[in-house]
Amino acid sequence: MISFLTNWLADAPGTAVPYALGALGLIISERSGVLNLTAEGLMLVGALAGIGSYLELGGHPAVALVVAMISASVVSLLFAGLVVVLRVNQVIAGLSMVFFCQGLTGLVGTITHWQNKRIAGLTPMAIWPFSDIPVIGKIFFMQDAVVYLTVVIYVIVNWWLFSTMMGLRIRSVGESPAAADAAGISVSLHRVLAIVIGSSLIGLAGAYISVVGVKLWVTGMTGGRGWIAVALVVFARWAPWPALGGAFLFGCIEAVIPHIAAEGIRVPQYLVMMTPYLATIAVMIWVGATQNIGTSEPGALGQPHVREERR
Amino acid sequence: MHDVAALKSGLSSPAPSLGRSRFVLDMRQSLPTWKQALFLGSSLAVGLAISLAILSVAGISPIQLAFELAGVFNTTSLRGVLFQAAPMMLVGLAASLAFRVGFWNLGLEGQMLLGGIFAEGVSIYEIGPPETRLVVMGIAAALGGALWCLLGGVLKMRFRVNEIIATLLLNYIAKYFLFHLLYGAWQDPNTAYPQSAPLRPFERLFDLGFGVNGALLTAIGAVAVAAWLVHLSRVGFYMRIISANPSMAKVLGVPIRAITLWIVVISGACAGLAGFVNVASQEGRLTDSYADGYLFSGVLIAFLSRNDPLVVAIVGFLVAVLFITGQTLQVFYQIPFTMVQLIEAIIVMSVASSEFFIRHRIRWLRQEAA
Repeated sequence: MISFLTNWLADAPGTAVPYALGALGLIISERSGVLNLTAEGLMLVGALAGIGSYLELGGHPAVALVVAMISASVVSLLFAGLVVVLRVNQVIAGLSMVFFCQGLTGLVGTITHWQNKRIAGLTPMAIWPFSDIPVIGKIFFMQDAVVYLTVVIYVIVNWWLFSTMMGLRIRSVGESPAAADAAGISVSLHRVLAIVIGSSLIGLAGAYISVVGVKLWVTGMTGGRGWIAVALVVFARWAPWPALGGAFLFGCIEAVIPHIAAEGIRVPQYLVMMTPYLATIAVMIWVGATQNIGTSEPGALGQPHVREERR
Repeated sequence: MHDVAALKSGLSSPAPSLGRSRFVLDMRQSLPTWKQALFLGSSLAVGLAISLAILSVAGISPIQLAFELAGVFNTTSLRGVLFQAAPMMLVGLAASLAFRVGFWNLGLEGQMLLGGIFAEGVSIYEIGPPETRLVVMGIAAALGGALWCLLGGVLKMRFRVNEIIATLLLNYIAKYFLFHLLYGAWQDPNTAYPQSAPLRPFERLFDLGFGVNGALLTAIGAVAVAAWLVHLSRVGFYMRIISANPSMAKVLGVPIRAITLWIVVISGACAGLAGFVNVASQEGRLTDSYADGYLFSGVLIAFLSRNDPLVVAIVGFLVAVLFITGQTLQVFYQIPFTMVQLIEAIIVMSVASSEFFIRHRIRWLRQEAA
């Protein structure tokens, strides 16, 4: 029983990373007032770019992850142009982006023949001496580098959003663009910035799935994780640390699936695979029941800002 | 004394003068229809040009594409297009009806899957005599889709769950439920594929020739009912008030919740029927992919037709042409079918962008530095 628990929980941080990074990227963007549904698509871009650069640039995982971040940021400029410059309905633009990215990655993955090529990827590293602690050591100190990096990114983003001038500006633009505009803060610039920086983290989340997790590229391989990340943002009420906690929860839920089968417990395989989605809906119901308690939902979320518009 | 000039210019435009030249957006009060059509047409042209460019990069020259497009309109392919148009119109209706009451129904694929599963269930458990089997299958499919959509509606209205996330997640759940059946109890024992045994001949939608078939008639019937509902009935009038101004609708005593829930049910029923016509005509059995690619097609059709059921029928036909062309390119040029989604997304993006130019006028505001 103990070995089942340690094996299961040791997998949880790894499965949690895409959720954690994806949700954090979305939080950055949504704090600037841009409702962002693009995660499912940009994760695919990151996943494909990661595998592609790994295969083409000599198999360095770090290079692959950086290229994935840059690719997702570049693609997100299209989204930024649509919602910030052209003031397109943010739901329509976000949905279009997801299907744009699904189509694009499907196409690029096929014509470059990056499909189904297994790579070595990234191996876990033990942080000695903590890794020798029984149970805890295996769960928290024998992970790959990105798991530790994720925690570092959370610390940095938290500091950046809440303790720097630029973070304050980004949040003010999301809370009340008209007031921020009157104070001389460029609404468009800060929104584009938030989208691009947030998207780089979403790209990293996608690359983690392909380069570190599955270790190959399959069309549409994110399988709804982007949508779960969107739900996670609502669950965390737009605050970073609860998002990390929620991501770990979902990591635990997803990680248990292969271990149930490995234990020889006979359960209908495909019904078990529904659990992450069912759990997301359950969590959303809980959020709905306790709405508006300590929420930091940005005041202008989803509203395009036109200075000259009469209100 | 330059302040006076600045003040005067400030009177004509609401923009504060900052003493530097810049672009200003003016809100247009109205724009002639032909100008709107011009903006719409040119943005559509830009979108199609980008799609053509991407296709050329993928190895399909515009000449080859024109050749394939022309090929779609020969007799056998046109039959295929008409077959394809039926589910397209139905998902387009499903999306446009739901969007009309502000319900983002993004669960079209899941509702199609439930529709197909319910129809197949009627066939497997042999419910009703053979003469009425098809009707029972259709009703069951509509019921299945409606229930799956209602689940999203209840989650939104009763539990305040955002319907975008709820309906999207329900797609994945429906997909795994389908896999559960197709890799389990419902799998055709004669094959290794994830598919059910073929439907019996009287469970297949009939073909009247010239591509006119039961699927198309079902879709046209649904279009007629939806057009009546939207344009002629009292419910349609209420729907217009709800989408124009929800708080006004509430004050006027419009039964918002009841109407929204009913439209959600009807929307799901349309998507369920789309699943039914795919299973009972094109596929002839329950397969694992009969709903793939319909979610965004439905959104695209609703968006381009501005949620008008009659226009849905026309746009649905055009998207069916796109679908069939995509299948041809997949078979003969090994272009992945996701290309269709890419083109659909580009079209939605470009048309959505045209709204900006229709609603705003961009003006270069020239100002002397103080």
